[in-house]
Amino acid sequence: MLEKIALPDEVRRWDGEFPVRHRYTPGVAGSAFFTALRDRGVLLGSRCEACSYTYVPARLFCERCFAELAADTEVGPGGALVSFTIGFVGLEGEPLEEPETIGLVRLDGADSVLVHRVLDADEPLEIGERVEVVLRPDGERTGTILDIEGLRSVD
Amino acid sequence: MARRVAVVGAGMTKFVRRAQETGKELSWEASRAALDSCELGLKDVDAVCLTSAPDAFDGVHMKGEYLSDGAGAFGKPFIRTYVGGGSGVFTAIQAWYTVASGMADVVLAVAEEKMSSTQPHPQGAFLTIFDNILERPLGPNLLWIFALEMNRYMNAYGLDKRDIAAVAVKNKRNAADHPAALLGQGDITIEDVLASETLAWPVQRLDVSPISDGAVAVIVASEEAARRITDRPVWIDGVGWNLDTAYWTNRDLVFPEYVANAARMAYDMAGITEPRKQIHVAEPYDPFDYKELHHLEGLLLFDRGKAPEAARDGVLNRDGDLPSCPSGGLLGVGNPIAAAGLMKIAELFWQLRGEAGARQVPGTPERGVAQAWGDLMQVGTVVVMGRDGASAPTQATPALSVIQTPPFATAGHALSEEEFRSATGAVEHDLDARYAWDAGVAIGRFLDGLEEGLILGRECRSCRRILVPPRMFCERCFRGTDAWVEVEQTGIVQTFSICHVRWDMQPLDEPEIPAVISIDGSDGGLLHMLGNVAPDDVSVGLAVEAVWRPESERTGSILDIAHFRPRGEA
Amino acid sequence: MEPRVAVVGIGHAGFVPISAGVSYKELMYEAAQRAYFDAGIDPRTEVDSFVCCSEDLIEGTSIFDEYVPDQLGAMQRPVQTVAADGLFGLVTGMMLIRSGIASVVAVEAHSKVSDVRSLGAVEAFALDPVLNRPLGISTFTVAGLEMNAFLERTGLSEEHCAMVAAKNRTNALDNPRAAYPARLVTEDVDDSSPVSWPLRELELAERADGCIVLVLAAEDRARSLTEAPVWLLGAGWSSGSPTLESRMWGEADSTTRAAEAAYRRAGIQDPGEEVDLAEVDDTFAFRELQHLEALGLGEASDVAAMLEDGELDVDGDLPVNASGGSLGQGNLFEANGLVRVLECVEQLRGEAGERQVDEAYVAVAQSARAMPSTSAAVAVLANDAGAGG
Repeated sequence: MLEKIALPDEVRRWDGEFPVRHRYTPGVAGSAFFTALRDRGVLLGSRCEACSYTYVPARLFCERCFAELAADTEVGPGGALVSFTIGFVGLEGEPLEEPETIGLVRLDGADSVLVHRVLDADEPLEIGERVEVVLRPDGERTGTILDIEGLRSVD
Repeated sequence: MARRVAVVGAGMTKFVRRAQETGKELSWEASRAALDSCELGLKDVDAVCLTSAPDAFDGVHMKGEYLSDGAGAFGKPFIRTYVGGGSGVFTAIQAWYTVASGMADVVLAVAEEKMSSTQPHPQGAFLTIFDNILERPLGPNLLWIFALEMNRYMNAYGLDKRDIAAVAVKNKRNAADHPAALLGQGDITIEDVLASETLAWPVQRLDVSPISDGAVAVIVASEEAARRITDRPVWIDGVGWNLDTAYWTNRDLVFPEYVANAARMAYDMAGITEPRKQIHVAEPYDPFDYKELHHLEGLLLFDRGKAPEAARDGVLNRDGDLPSCPSGGLLGVGNPIAAAGLMKIAELFWQLRGEAGARQVPGTPERGVAQAWGDLMQVGTVVVMGRDGASAPTQATPALSVIQTPPFATAGHALSEEEFRSATGAVEHDLDARYAWDAGVAIGRFLDGLEEGLILGRECRSCRRILVPPRMFCERCFRGTDAWVEVEQTGIVQTFSICHVRWDMQPLDEPEIPAVISIDGSDGGLLHMLGNVAPDDVSVGLAVEAVWRPESERTGSILDIAHFRPRGEA
Repeated sequence: MEPRVAVVGIGHAGFVPISAGVSYKELMYEAAQRAYFDAGIDPRTEVDSFVCCSEDLIEGTSIFDEYVPDQLGAMQRPVQTVAADGLFGLVTGMMLIRSGIASVVAVEAHSKVSDVRSLGAVEAFALDPVLNRPLGISTFTVAGLEMNAFLERTGLSEEHCAMVAAKNRTNALDNPRAAYPARLVTEDVDDSSPVSWPLRELELAERADGCIVLVLAAEDRARSLTEAPVWLLGAGWSSGSPTLESRMWGEADSTTRAAEAAYRRAGIQDPGEEVDLAEVDDTFAFRELQHLEALGLGEASDVAAMLEDGELDVDGDLPVNASGGSLGQGNLFEANGLVRVLECVEQLRGEAGERQVDEAYVAVAQSARAMPSTSAAVAVLANDAGAGG
């Protein structure tokens, strides 16, 4: 290029956005999962016998062998903490008012993990410790992942 | 030399307006159907190729990764390629080179789209395909680019809208025989099309293919693997693809040069020297009816300006001399962008095996061509397919008996609008994506010029062009451009549209008149609005001049030009 | 027998935290000019196919593919975009040549993330919209979960991760194109603010702008273009589960699979012995250790021992990220893979200046895509001496 900008005031930036909004269906399996969560307060998974793997939340298909699955296995509410992290910043790196702990739980009967907030995470957590899923009360659940309030250590 | 590669299986979901399935589930349904069609399992797949058009529709960044489990990619080599609307046919090309290169013997190739996620209307997401600085501020509707191109095409050849509408009729009627079709209609007429609402003149509602959700998958294999899998492989004989300049306002829109380039590349590889004779069935890309004709000419199957009379004379019908879109195409089956393109590959697969059921083209078609298109009227992707015996047409081949299409399109749960709005577990998200795009040297200076009430171009002394919009590099010569030039503020309307809907499909009180205006004193043009003129008084060739905002209101923006008005008007 | 493929030219622009006063097109043009000059070719007539790597949301434009041809000399030529990291683009270029449809291929990837105001929101848009996004978690959260799982499984410590950060930022001092060189010690890393415990700020690669264009050629053509071809002996790529729910936490399983395929194709049996240097993903410091384990250099404890003993230093037995890695050069997002290839090419040509690795014959470039993806690619590169002539 024969010309470059070398003065700061000559730099022009154009402000813009990506103005899109979305509505996501939970899918065939997700529909069953969230309906059961909302109405019955249970967590449904899908068992693939061929792979000996139980997915939670429920799935329409096994990603390993492509078998069709059903929302047929109740799991939890207790399980083991597989990992956790303590977040100090938000999406853009801005400091959070309160640190937030997120954990992975392998619920009893499941092979996959669930990702959620860890509630009352004042005591130091240990990978492997027992935790349980805490649901919002009956009548307050609307059929989303936030019907789960979070995970809590079991003493 | 490269290994021979064939399509050995295909499957798809229904194309629906709003699917209950997630994009992953749609991908799985199509992939599973494709594997079942040739009795393979996921363990037989060596690599996965996926295409899907803009992330903006499904509403997931790095959409390919998100979809990958539904496309069977767990533990496998997986790549998503992406060439806008050309993607669907490109899936087959990607699968072809993945196998031809020796990196895989069996490939699962998947194309998926879930456009219904975009709110309030999927059309709105198309705003973001336009140039971020010079075009988006004008609030362009995707319909514009089709209307502008359609107008130019019709104008250049003096075409009759009836002949174009005949394509919509053909395809929607054809689609009545397609089990996956969203908009098949066995009794639609030309009058129905001509009476439909004008969205962006000359585009009417029934000229346009419907926004849809859906997925398609094909299994592609090396010759050795193909012969083990099926006794009727359909060979990928030729592939071609070509991308034209981003500066679309500098191009004549009458003929899709990039489609012709892609076609020549594919025909060359397939040993096709007389396409009109050697291609027996065509699936050109038909998001709008006129596009099918535009593309048939780009595919060198008809002379320039001559495809419309072929439509009128029934040449393109299933029982015509060159069946075109026997599937029903995008106009009839639906338009989940990438999936629609791969649907054409699947259609040729079924047609060439005699498995197209009620859509079967009579005779023994041996060679077919599928084509897709996309970006800003820029990309052509072409695949030539042929069955055994196709390369030696003089051999007597047994007549294929027409058999029932295997069940391949049962999946895909459609939701009504009401069900969509109230679906349990549905989640909404408003993306906070903010940018501050660096205009850089060329556009920075261009905006400076606009603020001063000037239109600036860059000169390339090698090809002797004055480039508007300016760029620091000449795309033709691949060298730096040489100097700034102040060009005229007048121009000529190359094409225009009368648009009655906004970028998000909301109706406008007053129609807008977008136009491509060539700028005098340059070899370029700009997309802008016409003003101070009644729609009936606008014509291709109209001389216009820029009308500037008052100096105090100019900020260095394409909107510093308020609009262009006919020259001489006060 | 498919033709061997070589890198015959490479050029870059950047890398800088913010490239002000150039548009992404102009950044690409600069890198392309350099690449074609290096290869001695005219793209308008001598490049058969072009492969670009990008993701729409990072660019802020849908079908970003539309906007690439002009500045690469690719107008009206076969151009495709790979929605993935540059190393996947390299692999694609290799497939095009091996398929016979192209003899010379240009591969491009860039980062102009200084144009993005809400990068975190864009990155989080990759999370599952129904299951994960409602929690408000970020890609840092995913990295923190992964790091903790990795340390738990392997018994490696935060100190090891700090050593990686210190090594790479300091290595970058000898790299003229690095955006974030710094004489860093582990105490600095320990003192840095927690981002998503156990992940700390100085363990994160900061964003940078840049562009890399490289030119691949089939063997015959390669020999006529250059006396110092860098051979692509083998490559592999793989994906794991994209979901947070069913992925292999703590293990870079995709890198393992990609490496196995790459080594097999390259005829590498014992990578620890046969590889002279490696450029691997360190966008989070712990990743370097995780990927080295996955690349078959030993158990995680062996890798940690190599790190402690200085074997991974520039003057060690197996220099890793002599370039400074992403920590030192900057996080160039989808261009990271080609950033790693750039270093390998310079090393194998003997053009790496102060950071030149002695006896560099065979190099490995590895890349993993951004969180929450689990896709990875590996390429084995060698100069004439390393390729056996």
